[in-house]
Amino acid sequence: MPDQLLQQLADGLLIGLMYSLIAIGLTLIWGVMNIVNFAHGEFLMLGMFTSFWLFTLYGIDPIFSIPICFVLMFVMGMLIYRFIVSKVMKGPMLAQLVVTFGLSIFIANLAVYFWTPDFRLLPPTMLQGTWQIGGVALSIPKVAASLGSVIASVCMFFFLKRTKTGKAILATEMDREAALLMGINTERINSLSFGIGAALVGVAGAFLSTYYYIYPQVGGLFGTIAFCVVALGGFGSIEGAFIAGILVGLAQTLGGFYFDPSYKYAIVFMIYLITIWIRPQGLMGW
Amino acid sequence: MWYFLSDEAHSRRRIHFISLYGTVEPFISKLGTEKNMSRRKNVMASKNCTRVLSVALSLLLILFFSVSAQSQQKVIKIGAVYPLTGNIASTGLDCKRGVDLAVDIINGKYDLDLPLAKSAGLPNLGGAKIEMVYADTKGDPKNGMSEAERLITSENVVAMLGAYQSAVTKTASQITERLRIPYVCSDSSSPTLTERGFKYFFRVSPHDDIFARDQFQFLKDLEKKTGQAVHNIAVLYENTEFGSNAGKAYKKYAAEFGYKVVADITYTANATDVTSEVGKLIVSKPDVLMHASYITDAILFTKTFKEMGFQPKGIMTMAGYIEPGYLPSVKADGNYIIVRSTFALDLAKKKPLIGKVNALFKKKYGIDMSENAARSFMAPFVLAEAINRAKSTAPEAIVKALHETDIPGSQTIYPWKGIKFDPQTNQNIYARGTLVQILNQEYVTIWPFDSASKPVVWPFPAWKGR
Amino acid sequence: MRDFTIPKIIAGFAILLLLIVFPMVVSHSFHIHVMILVFMFAMLGVAWNIMGGYAGMFSFGQAAFFGIGAYTSSYLSIAYGVNPWIGLVAGGCAAALVAAAIGYPCSNLRGHYFAIASIAFAEIVRIVFNNWKMVGAAEGLSLPMQNESFANFLFNSSKLPYYYIMLAFLLVSLAVCYFIATSKMGYYFRAIRESHKIAEVLGVDVVWYRLMAIMISAFLSAMAGTFYAQYILYIDPGSVMLLAMSIQIVLISMLGGAGSIMGPVIGAAILVPASEYTRITLGFKGTGMDMLIYGLLITLISMYYPEGVWKLFSRIGRKLR
Repeated sequence: MPDQLLQQLADGLLIGLMYSLIAIGLTLIWGVMNIVNFAHGEFLMLGMFTSFWLFTLYGIDPIFSIPICFVLMFVMGMLIYRFIVSKVMKGPMLAQLVVTFGLSIFIANLAVYFWTPDFRLLPPTMLQGTWQIGGVALSIPKVAASLGSVIASVCMFFFLKRTKTGKAILATEMDREAALLMGINTERINSLSFGIGAALVGVAGAFLSTYYYIYPQVGGLFGTIAFCVVALGGFGSIEGAFIAGILVGLAQTLGGFYFDPSYKYAIVFMIYLITIWIRPQGLMGW
Repeated sequence: MWYFLSDEAHSRRRIHFISLYGTVEPFISKLGTEKNMSRRKNVMASKNCTRVLSVALSLLLILFFSVSAQSQQKVIKIGAVYPLTGNIASTGLDCKRGVDLAVDIINGKYDLDLPLAKSAGLPNLGGAKIEMVYADTKGDPKNGMSEAERLITSENVVAMLGAYQSAVTKTASQITERLRIPYVCSDSSSPTLTERGFKYFFRVSPHDDIFARDQFQFLKDLEKKTGQAVHNIAVLYENTEFGSNAGKAYKKYAAEFGYKVVADITYTANATDVTSEVGKLIVSKPDVLMHASYITDAILFTKTFKEMGFQPKGIMTMAGYIEPGYLPSVKADGNYIIVRSTFALDLAKKKPLIGKVNALFKKKYGIDMSENAARSFMAPFVLAEAINRAKSTAPEAIVKALHETDIPGSQTIYPWKGIKFDPQTNQNIYARGTLVQILNQEYVTIWPFDSASKPVVWPFPAWKGR
Repeated sequence: MRDFTIPKIIAGFAILLLLIVFPMVVSHSFHIHVMILVFMFAMLGVAWNIMGGYAGMFSFGQAAFFGIGAYTSSYLSIAYGVNPWIGLVAGGCAAALVAAAIGYPCSNLRGHYFAIASIAFAEIVRIVFNNWKMVGAAEGLSLPMQNESFANFLFNSSKLPYYYIMLAFLLVSLAVCYFIATSKMGYYFRAIRESHKIAEVLGVDVVWYRLMAIMISAFLSAMAGTFYAQYILYIDPGSVMLLAMSIQIVLISMLGGAGSIMGPVIGAAILVPASEYTRITLGFKGTGMDMLIYGLLITLISMYYPEGVWKLFSRIGRKLR
């Protein structure tokens, strides 16, 4: 079945790039602040709902609502950091995990309260349809999402490696005390990173809303897979998250196709476990 | 970048114009005072939080005692357990709508040919009204059990209904069986529920075994009528209790009716992506796909079928495709899919009662009655009618009356001969499904052919041409 | 031993007496059910604590051990008629074996990686059980309703026996935790938690002690699993191996105070009633208000008591002295 192989590879790549986009934000937060942001899936959900409401209430097409999503989620991320997360930064690591977990429950149910648990799907927007290239069907919204993911990753990469602020973030990631000694205000770096992390996953949500159904609990599975992706790539590493996302997407589709669809997530988790046993710090972690 | 410099670095930069990476000493002493400040702030915050927590704990104590309080009103209380929050909440709330409307009709005076509709309340018990007491299961079987028990012991309900999810109905009915309270279920479709030899559990609606058999019967009828034969079947089902039982039934009847199963695929519900599953379907080249899923996967699969150009001769489905959220989401992409159903609005042409009930539903909720709401709608009537005939709310009397239940089909909103329970399994022997097809984004009854509103569109038209 | 002052012993016995008398005084079975859940989650929290609070391995996959215990005893009981008490031990051993098998390769993982590995492992177990026809796959296992008796570990007419059995289990696990915490093993655990490299240098067999921690934790969790199966009489992967349950166990231990013996008990005593009672009073409208409050409670407690509520009690205890 050679033609399905190409199809499955292509789809694996597309879903993988979506995972990468979700994971980049998470790995940034994780790396800079050493917090596993359990509310990341809920941020994704908020991004999806933002895009949905912008379209339904104001008719703004998801492509154009991406910058709005970015800004809104960025502000929200910084506010959440400043008022909630920063209070537990001095506590034990577990406290930080629990805060984000409590937040995730709170945000998900706030969404239920305001928007009901019903499922919504965006009607066909500008990005719709399928490209047929050589027997392989590529869904245009997914391709757009993947392009967005690549652009976001490249932008983040250059931001972190070339700009002064970016280098400050990297410095904080690598060694917090040293960064402090070097004159970097790590509190502000923290809130910036949290904001960027939230903004990135919000953008991922905006892209995802063009082809996936939207409801308050949608963050669950995506969030769990994102943790795997981040840990697989090595926490704190943007390149690692990017590559790991693609790997996970390919493992999921190829594993599901050639082995058994009901085990496809088990395959993903198995790959994570095997990789981590061989290389405990993840693919590109330090 | 200047925003991200520490205050100390700022001041050094301002005063001495030295480069950003300045001296360390004054900075370290500043660190010290900052720590003390935050410690003081934390203590203050802790004191405040102690107060907040104590208030919260006292509120909880109040709630605790509210559960213990017994209610003293003279109504007939019936318990209902549904997933009212959580992943499947939209379905649970949908079922609740059906039940609430039924209670309205029983308690009020309506000119409808439904049991107890024309009188207010239960006439044989002095017009006593039904009060439905709801409990949220969150879709968890353990909660189904504890909530059912709480409703029986704290709220003194005389009967139970619910719980939509077969796994939750299992545990809830275990408790009612133990505590000898009648349970009338009209919305869980796992066949195993009525195969346990329970004496207090009754089911009004058809189960998945019946639905699966219907789908194959349809194929045979279609062949007889149009000469279009079908050979290969692909079965696709999600891997929880509902899906795997449906899958089993599909395979059983495929063998019985003489069809070949070329693909047998299970998948995890609420998946992020289903391209592998659809890929496997495409390479197996089936004539007909039979799919058992909940609404989320129904939506995702429909989109993926279209994207990948999956083109069987027919797609026959269960459950998720007939939920109220499905068509508004997929719109025209849902056309020509066949779904099993117990209820369809177009049957109102042959049975005006359906139209009248739907009008009431629409007036109360603003939307048309859905299949879930319609299924849950019937159980309160069956219970109320039995209680009325028994002239008592004693569990044994209700069970005896339920065994004698014989409601004619004209008094139901389904195309059934009636409601009568099998003496061994307590399953309604007249329960059966119909098949509807989505045409022009509406559910149209197409089988059995003699009750069909419109002829079925077969084979499944190509995606491209629409 | 320096922890045991006279006021503390008196307080401890008073609370124990209250707990013993509680079900005889309170008649509504729902409250007893909630207390049983409190004890069960407290036991799971204590089991987690041995591995996480003391040995520093934060596992988010305890539900897998819980489920393995439940499935082992239930399957043996249904397929081979094995007495549930024997099934209890068998389940514990099965879970411990699986724990050793997974713990050995994971023993050198750092904090966060270990946590994610535990999630991955638990999800794999759940998916496998969900598809494994021999144990009922997605339909789960229903335990037959036999004659009620202590030997059969089944009680139909009242919840009280379940209540006392669970309380006993909890006390056993607390005793185990206490003995570990005050023994050489406990000190080694804490050393490994602080820095496993230094512990290794000092001669502690890190791998062996880590395995011990995981195995003990798994055994206790599996015991709780068997209890659950005998209590609810129906198990499926969706109810005994859920990630949400694993996370709840971590929450309970965390909020109560990881690294202290009574911490998880306090955590369970706060969180379990909170979620149950908010669900009853607020859940049935479907607005999600109950979980909102629950999430808010968790966030507030972790913000203001990051080291756990147990610290508050010990502060009060110190003032009383």
